[in-house]
Amino acid sequence: MMCMIPFSKLERYEGNEALFELVMMSIVSSYVGEPLHVHAEGLRGTGKTTIMRAARGILPDITRIKGCVYNCDPNAPHCPHHKDLSKEELEQIGVEDIPMPFLEISHSAKVGTVAGSIDIGKLTDTSKPEAKLLPGLIPQAHRGILFVDEINRLADTSPEITDILLDVMGNKPGHIQIEEAGLPVVEVKVSVSVWAASNPDEDPGPLEEIRRQLSDRFDMVCYMGRPDSVDILAQMLRENSHSYKIRQSKLNQLSASDEAANNAIRENIVKWAGQYEKTDLPDFLRNYIARLYIKHNLESIRAIEAMQQGAVLHSIIRGRDKVLINDVTDMIPLVLKHRVDGDSLVRMINDTDSRTVKDGILNFKSRKNKGKKDSEDEVDYFPNSARPVKEMNRSELINTEKTLTPKDM
Amino acid sequence: MSNERINIDKAAAVGNYLGLYFGQNQGVRLGESTVVSRKAHARMPERRIKGQIKILLNRDAGKTYLDFVDTDQVVHIDTYHRPGEIDPRDVARAIFTALDKHFLEKDPQLQYAEDERFKMVIEYTNKIFVTTSLGKGTVYELFQGNLRPYLEGEEGKDHVHVLARLNRDEYALVYVLVEAIEEVVLLSEVELGKVKNIIHGKQKQQEESFAGYLKLPWKKLRGQHATALPEKENVNQLILKLAEKFGGVEEIQDFMESYSTNIFKRKGIDQQKKKWGDVEHYVEELKELGVLKETPMGTVLTKQGLKLTDFIINHKCELETEIRRNMRKAPAGGTSRFKKMGKVENRSSQVEFTNRNKTINNRDGTWSGDLAVPETIIQAKKNSILRGDPGLTIKRSDLHYYEKKSYIPIDVCLVIDASGSMAGDKRQAACYLAEHLLLTGKEKVAVVTFQERSSRVVVPFTRNQQVLRKGLATISPAGLTPMADGIVTAVNLIQESRVRNPLMVLITDGVPNTPLWTLDAKVDALEAAAQIPEANIRFICIGVESNHLYLEKLAERAEGILYTVDDLNRDNLINIVRAEKKSMLKNNRA
Repeated sequence: MMCMIPFSKLERYEGNEALFELVMMSIVSSYVGEPLHVHAEGLRGTGKTTIMRAARGILPDITRIKGCVYNCDPNAPHCPHHKDLSKEELEQIGVEDIPMPFLEISHSAKVGTVAGSIDIGKLTDTSKPEAKLLPGLIPQAHRGILFVDEINRLADTSPEITDILLDVMGNKPGHIQIEEAGLPVVEVKVSVSVWAASNPDEDPGPLEEIRRQLSDRFDMVCYMGRPDSVDILAQMLRENSHSYKIRQSKLNQLSASDEAANNAIRENIVKWAGQYEKTDLPDFLRNYIARLYIKHNLESIRAIEAMQQGAVLHSIIRGRDKVLINDVTDMIPLVLKHRVDGDSLVRMINDTDSRTVKDGILNFKSRKNKGKKDSEDEVDYFPNSARPVKEMNRSELINTEKTLTPKDM
Repeated sequence: MSNERINIDKAAAVGNYLGLYFGQNQGVRLGESTVVSRKAHARMPERRIKGQIKILLNRDAGKTYLDFVDTDQVVHIDTYHRPGEIDPRDVARAIFTALDKHFLEKDPQLQYAEDERFKMVIEYTNKIFVTTSLGKGTVYELFQGNLRPYLEGEEGKDHVHVLARLNRDEYALVYVLVEAIEEVVLLSEVELGKVKNIIHGKQKQQEESFAGYLKLPWKKLRGQHATALPEKENVNQLILKLAEKFGGVEEIQDFMESYSTNIFKRKGIDQQKKKWGDVEHYVEELKELGVLKETPMGTVLTKQGLKLTDFIINHKCELETEIRRNMRKAPAGGTSRFKKMGKVENRSSQVEFTNRNKTINNRDGTWSGDLAVPETIIQAKKNSILRGDPGLTIKRSDLHYYEKKSYIPIDVCLVIDASGSMAGDKRQAACYLAEHLLLTGKEKVAVVTFQERSSRVVVPFTRNQQVLRKGLATISPAGLTPMADGIVTAVNLIQESRVRNPLMVLITDGVPNTPLWTLDAKVDALEAAAQIPEANIRFICIGVESNHLYLEKLAERAEGILYTVDDLNRDNLINIVRAEKKSMLKNNRA
């Protein structure tokens, strides 16, 4: 764990580039208090977890009220301890800088560890035992990142935790309720970006099959591809070889250059966050997104909200101050792949270009082809001619399927 | 005078019959050239029998052609003719005169009330809509000489297509209309076409044309944002489309190879059809996408086609994952109709396990259960403080237990009829079912097929998709239906394997015609079916409607359930097995 490859040094290739960008976009967004939930799906060993965990190294610092487990923002305290205090009282407690929280939900997690439960430390205090609540992972990850590995398995085995995640990710910011029999219920808002990884091919299958709602809560889904270049693979192998790792760990975990690279990204993130607060989507793009929603009958408003958020973030981390149509079209597959079926997705993507050959023309062409075939058959589809009704008896007039079908069939 | 009377009698008789048959949701042939119903009609090129007309029970005529909201409002009259052109205005005029004459014959008094008569006729002419290959319009419009153009692909190409909004008591007019129409056809020197037979059925879902909206990156695209299109998605989607049809990446490669320039690898269309069903549509679409092209040597892959093949080879892992993902999803909400006959009650064994992540408090007052010690102590400590007890006290209400979960594993053995009639789409559907079951459940799947004179285990009970795929690829339907043999093989397989709650699913589109022990194939199969309940196997049979009499007996002997469908398609199969598994679980809980 100590000699994890730093974020800046991880190999980038076509199949995983989107995830690097998403991770940075999500950090920028979380830093300004607007979560962006990201889900990486892909085959085993495509580096989903590695990239997400390595992002820990580039997280910027946040300022909180000193010692607050809920990570209260000094300007807007929200936790039960601090929300009712006056400015002077808060000043007295003071503030501190901590790295943006990055917490993980593991598979042995229980509702208590995730949401909050009785504080055992206080409970077993011999001098003054007390029954108090201790916030769980989610409230503690406020203003930061919450990482769930193999989220499809978690959704399958722990529906209760899934319900909590649904609440947390339902709105921005979300909301969580800590309950413990006999104690008053604590309700706090949480602004946490949930990052998840899963392999849709392994048991119990893709997330959208297990918990459709949870899958829709993710703003973006990134499908990871396998690396397909020999050079990249060789480089990956080299960095993962045991001797290389030993050498690295002798160099005191992170060499200065790696540290500097991480710092550079971190500084960028803070800078981008400043920009993000100022940049807005141009009206024509906003209308364009709205039209997509109407035209293609999208179900979830979350999808187009994510498209807007993503497009702005994407333009910023690309170092632009104007959002372009490309930023939006790049977001379409990420935002919609888990929400609509493949056909609709491709239709939408191809729709972005209005001047290509229209479907109608192609249809016309294929219809014409079919017409030709028909007319070939047609000449003798009715090989025999019929008598007119006028010449027929009353009893001959009506025939049904039964009377027309030969008896022996 | 007597002649007129006869006509009125004829019309009244026709009206009565139509009322009767339409009430039973049927259509009829009126005379020899005309088909009348309240549904849409279609030719049946798929049967290759000429002169047959299919009445599409699932397509109401009013809804289909005139955008009506309510069903059964419109009578659809098609008078078929041999090649030739009919002017709809002539038809309209003839109908106008015929109606006028008819009202007069029916009620001679009307000759003194010309205005009244005219009003009646006009009212009807607004309710009758005529299309021929030369144009269309209501009788009223056409009578005025207003003609709307006929569009390529519409109804009316080889027939006079008439839609009439008539109530039940007006059905007698249908005869009047048909007589008038036929006369116009004959006057136009066109022969009437004889409809040999009519058949009732449902419209098969039209194969979707994907060439229209997919855009391959190596095809030159026009437009300002063309380069910005994420091309991978398009290629991916094309391959997924093909996979849905052919079964998997390997099958797609197999299919593409049929069009390689290497003559030894090429496969004829008949051979392809046997395996994959109707491939022609796909060949057409791929031609349009520029993947295949016509050459003097036959159809071959283009450069782009070769690129596509390369892409498939290079991205096999990712593609297979996505294909599996789509398979799990199926069926995509499609409704399917099936009939269920028979009922069984038997209990299944279940697997229980403890969920260490979840504890529950005070379950239904019993003391038994898997006690969660840490949770209990924490709760007791907390509650002692809240209760104000001096030290740690443990009360019954503090006890916490680990949650127990249970599920019922159902191992499925598919017994698939691989006789000649199952070739193509039905084979594909059965194979798809097998893969779908494996991918969506936690249980084992086995496949047994029977054909010619014997049966074989194609796939033994397995959870391995590779094994399943390989086995399924060897199924090549041909020959007769030795059902008894198939059932016996499956029973033996189940008895020899370690399986839990075995469910045997027999999929067949026929009845047995190759015996095993005696000379009577049907009796043998019944005899074999009797072994199924003896071996404690649950049995369902999925067959086609027309064989239900025999299959019902078979299911009864096997103490199982018969499901009949009108088409052994993918959605039907999956929905039936899914429903059956659900009912097994429910039975158990009850």
